[in-house]
Amino acid sequence: MKLKFPILILILSLSLNLGAQEKYRILSNFKGLKFKEFAARTEKLFAIKFFYKDEWVSSLKIGDYSDCQTLSCVMDNLFKGTSLYYIIEESGNIVITDKYAIKVSVTPIVKDNNFLPPNDYAGSVENQHTEGNASVEIGNPAERNKPGNVVLSGYIRNKDTKEPVHGVTVFIQKLSLGTVSNEYGYYNLTLPRGIHFLQFSFIGMREKKINLNLYGTGELNVDMKSVLIPLKETVISAQKNVTLQRFEVGAEKINITSFKLLPTSMGESDIIKSVLLIPGVQTVGEGSAGFNVRGGSADQNLILLYGAPIYNSSHFFGFFSAVNSDLIKDVTLYKGGIPSRYGGRISSVLDIGSKEGNRKEFAGNAGISPITTHISMEGPIIKDTLTYLLTARTTYSNWIFGLIKDPALHKSRASFYDLNGKLTYDLDKNNKIDFSAYLSHDSFRFNSDTVYSYNNSILALKWRHFFSSRFFSSFSINNSFYNYNISSQYLVKEAFVLSHKINSTGLKADFNWFTGRHEINFGLDLNRYAVIPGSYQPFSDSSLVVPHTLEKGRAWEGALYIDDKFLLTSFLSANVGMRMSSFFTFGPQTVMIYNPEFSKSVSTITDTLNFRRHEITSKYAGPEFRVSLNFRITDKNSFKINYNRTRQYLHLLSNSTSISPTDTWKLSDYHVKPQIGDQVALGFYEMLFKNNFEASAEVYYKVIRNMIDFKGGTNFIMDENIEKDIVNVKGKAYGLELVLKKTEGKIRYSIGYTYSRTFIRSLSNFSEEIINSGKWFPANFDKPHDLVVTFNYLFSRRFSISSNYTWSTGRPITFPVATYNMYDDVLVHYSDRNKYRIPDYSRLDLAFKISGNLRSHKLAHPNWTFSVFNLLGRQNVYSIYFKRVGEVYTGYKLSVFGRAIPSVTFSFDF
Amino acid sequence: MKNIRQILLVSIILLFSSCITEFIPKTTEDQELLVVEGLITDKPEANTIKLSRSFHLGGFNVPKPLTGCDIRISDDLGQSFSFSETTPGTYTSDPAKFQGIIGRFYTLHVSTNVTNNNLNYESIPMELKPVPPIDSVYYEKVSIVESSNVSAGQEGCQVYLDTHDQTNQCKFFRWEYTETWEFRLPYLVPNSICWLSSNSNVINIKNTSVFEEDRINRYPLNFISNLTDRLRVKYSILVNQYSLNEDEYLYWEKLQNISEQVGGLYDVIPSAIPSNVYCLDDPNQKVLGYFSVSANSSRRIFIKDQFAGVITPYTDAACISDTVFGGGPILYLNTSVWVIINHPSPPPVYSVITRNKLCYDCTVRGTNIKPDFWEGGK
Repeated sequence: MKLKFPILILILSLSLNLGAQEKYRILSNFKGLKFKEFAARTEKLFAIKFFYKDEWVSSLKIGDYSDCQTLSCVMDNLFKGTSLYYIIEESGNIVITDKYAIKVSVTPIVKDNNFLPPNDYAGSVENQHTEGNASVEIGNPAERNKPGNVVLSGYIRNKDTKEPVHGVTVFIQKLSLGTVSNEYGYYNLTLPRGIHFLQFSFIGMREKKINLNLYGTGELNVDMKSVLIPLKETVISAQKNVTLQRFEVGAEKINITSFKLLPTSMGESDIIKSVLLIPGVQTVGEGSAGFNVRGGSADQNLILLYGAPIYNSSHFFGFFSAVNSDLIKDVTLYKGGIPSRYGGRISSVLDIGSKEGNRKEFAGNAGISPITTHISMEGPIIKDTLTYLLTARTTYSNWIFGLIKDPALHKSRASFYDLNGKLTYDLDKNNKIDFSAYLSHDSFRFNSDTVYSYNNSILALKWRHFFSSRFFSSFSINNSFYNYNISSQYLVKEAFVLSHKINSTGLKADFNWFTGRHEINFGLDLNRYAVIPGSYQPFSDSSLVVPHTLEKGRAWEGALYIDDKFLLTSFLSANVGMRMSSFFTFGPQTVMIYNPEFSKSVSTITDTLNFRRHEITSKYAGPEFRVSLNFRITDKNSFKINYNRTRQYLHLLSNSTSISPTDTWKLSDYHVKPQIGDQVALGFYEMLFKNNFEASAEVYYKVIRNMIDFKGGTNFIMDENIEKDIVNVKGKAYGLELVLKKTEGKIRYSIGYTYSRTFIRSLSNFSEEIINSGKWFPANFDKPHDLVVTFNYLFSRRFSISSNYTWSTGRPITFPVATYNMYDDVLVHYSDRNKYRIPDYSRLDLAFKISGNLRSHKLAHPNWTFSVFNLLGRQNVYSIYFKRVGEVYTGYKLSVFGRAIPSVTFSFDF
Repeated sequence: MKNIRQILLVSIILLFSSCITEFIPKTTEDQELLVVEGLITDKPEANTIKLSRSFHLGGFNVPKPLTGCDIRISDDLGQSFSFSETTPGTYTSDPAKFQGIIGRFYTLHVSTNVTNNNLNYESIPMELKPVPPIDSVYYEKVSIVESSNVSAGQEGCQVYLDTHDQTNQCKFFRWEYTETWEFRLPYLVPNSICWLSSNSNVINIKNTSVFEEDRINRYPLNFISNLTDRLRVKYSILVNQYSLNEDEYLYWEKLQNISEQVGGLYDVIPSAIPSNVYCLDDPNQKVLGYFSVSANSSRRIFIKDQFAGVITPYTDAACISDTVFGGGPILYLNTSVWVIINHPSPPPVYSVITRNKLCYDCTVRGTNIKPDFWEGGK
């Protein structure tokens, strides 16, 4: 209620305002001067400073205002008939605005006046940034009684780094109306004229509340301050109210400050592990690379860093994410309702937003944990214009091998590192360029004769151009490369190097246009792929291995997209979009033609087609519709419905349960069709108990066509004609996701329960391609029940405890069921695929964090995190395998974390 | 790639203090499937096809031969040759009528009798590919380093094989071997020298299509540990080399992939491996095994050498001697286990010394009939 008071004063003071400024009495006549000269001269006379844009005043000349005794009188006369407004602050700043006036309430909150001229990023009005709550007036008061809605828009920036903040919720509780800022920090709301109370909130930033007196269309730019020691937010959550406002069903945003506090397994904050806490996201086991979203396989997730895909997202076979958390600003996971600007993968998009360097001063962070160490540095090269951010991380796990007495393992080595760099350059207020680079490397040497290594690298250049305050564009070009090498010198004559490579170059143009009630996004997405499926080379001259490289795959993937977000009525909004995607593969290529009456095999080849260079060998195209509707039932709850289709042209060939390091990427081609996914999702969202609780329920149903499975026991490394081992299968998945979150207060928690099923069915008519008699069978990652509970207790600004508990059904497994004798050997026969399950999974983690000091000017801020992974020491079954000992097959179960794993991480900011 | 999987497993275990415990799954399967074990060669010998049924995992390994079936093979020239059941479940061809010819395609036909539901099975046509001779089979001493405290000087024997095909026709090889060794009892008893044979039970295959030359060098065929008495006196190994079609090679490779270790996250997902034999009447009937059509060449070597640390099963601990005192003939003496080697007379004090029969009569383990191929005297 206290907030209403300043508004009242504000309105009352309206008429008094101009008359009150008698401070600057003008004695001389400035007749005939240009405004610029006038300003310069009066600035000399008084302790005042003008803020304005040259183009607004270039045509203005001071007339004969002989009646005028005061500065304000001159300005009143001068601006008569123009769209310009001005305000004279007590401190002597005179701010001129175009098209709308700003009004401030009486003195105590003059400093809180929140206004930035549109597009003026140069920081000349820096002093005026709002510290607390503010009252602002926008538009010409004379229009206050006009009918119809007006548009409020503006930019939201981080006060300290001047980076635009993406994903800020702008919300008007009374109207239950809101929006989220886009990647440029821009937001846009259509509102009725009148007095509004706006809330700007974002995880890790201090919430900002603004009283707005809206008379006409105008802009309101806001700077938000990050919380210095980010203890406030520790729960992974879509922000308050965002869930009500977003169009997508199943979009989740994780802020870096949230997951940095989560318990760690080896002392390393890990983005993928945080993603696993989201309902609907599952993994086949601890430390396995990749994750499964709503019944999709692990290769159906598009993981974007700097806008480019990462082809192997893990270090150390899945125990660590390949992306250093130091460079992450935020992460958005789309489980459904994938915006039309993304494409190429069926199940999800994990868009990793990267930080930009600090624009004001040098800053850094370094940390050590039992296995890894990391450092990051950032700062301006040219203040406010050119900044850099560098991060590096490496492991020193080799000492563990050194401790092992076994001679075979003593010589084994494992290591990884990753490096990131980003340069951001603000050319001018309308153009911004950034260049990012990423490199990661893993290697493992086993007993000094087999060396295994893999590398990821990304280069990306992005140019953001603002055509106007409502029309943005972004152009980017990127290259992503992944390869692995396996070499063995066990036998000199057979020593080999086996490698696989994928290289993709992407060109993207995205446009973002706000017009009235519509927000229109459109653009182009073009990718070129080159894949070497496998190359088998002699290791040295004495090796008899014939150098052999499988035929290179070449393809272009092109897509055009457009979508429109608009308000249909005051309670119903829609987002309708379409992505038209296409895929072309090119020669030179040799394509085998098989007798269609038999299952494909070497003996059923009937013909060979030879395609010349640049000749199209196969082409696929199709529309992908993305539609969302958002019904606001009351101001506390909403209902959303969403349909989307996705097409995937790139597949990861994996015949093991988890993503294995020897898996290879395969392009769609003459035989391998693109995967097509259709998902329908419904969601209901409700805010409870004064908005302190957030509850949601989402259901989905999904069908995936042309999924890839394999004929039994196939090993497709260096396989010339992979299509003969591929079985075309269909997938279906459905599920219910329930979440209850408490997001306010010292104690915060969330409870998420998921019931989900995923099934696969083989479609072929040939006996060897039929799995489980052609019936639906559970996929490898079908885990029906999944419960995730997170709990945080913030004792004080310096101490916090966080904990999470996970319980889920065990994954399906195929057991041996019968044995038989052949050639004096005992062999084993298997059950139907995935007929059985491993035992249920349950784990409790705990972390305790101490921040050394709250003083912001201290040289370094130390942070200690004590973490216990698997606190209960439960021996969760990671896998069950069968080993033959003599003539008997015995089963074994393996637990990766057989006991509680404590770890300590020390890091400090400088 | 087996290696990589081991690496992963090892690294996981090392780094994350994991643990492994034995686990026998409870399954509810009740399947008895037809198992075909058939091999047709180009040798002028009787070829055999064995038919049996599979048994449950963890159950007793009692063979279940499938008797009373009608078996014949046909070739691509329209000729047909029938097999007759010689022992239960084993069907044999007449070598006078049938011998495999290189380049021909052969198809197996199986019909079960009424008690087995009168089902008809057929194989896909299989080509008989030529095979080159084995160039050499040889061995090397290998010193065994054990992490345990076993005293030094342990030696084993690694048997290697070399072969090549100048005509480049045989790209896929499979080997089987039969080991035969002489062993002697350490006592002066009538049957003290015997011979014992054992067949290979590991899949040995090689694909030479990835090599410049159709040549195999130092293929590690068999490792003889010193924990058997194979190497104590004299040892012989007969190696059979078979040519394979690519399809059959892939069958064995898949079998190898899933038969050693399965179920791990990085292991190939196990599944039933399709046979080249299928049921004509009921496509849902699964068939196990394979109908192999191969040319065959073979080679035998003998190994008579000194290997350090070769054990003997005839230790004093294993060959317990005992003396039994009694007033009369020993009742209930199990003469299949115990042998009376001395019974002084006359009564009334009746004393006997007994010994484990295994140590008294070598025919308990092997045969005292010297094999035809055995070189050298007794």
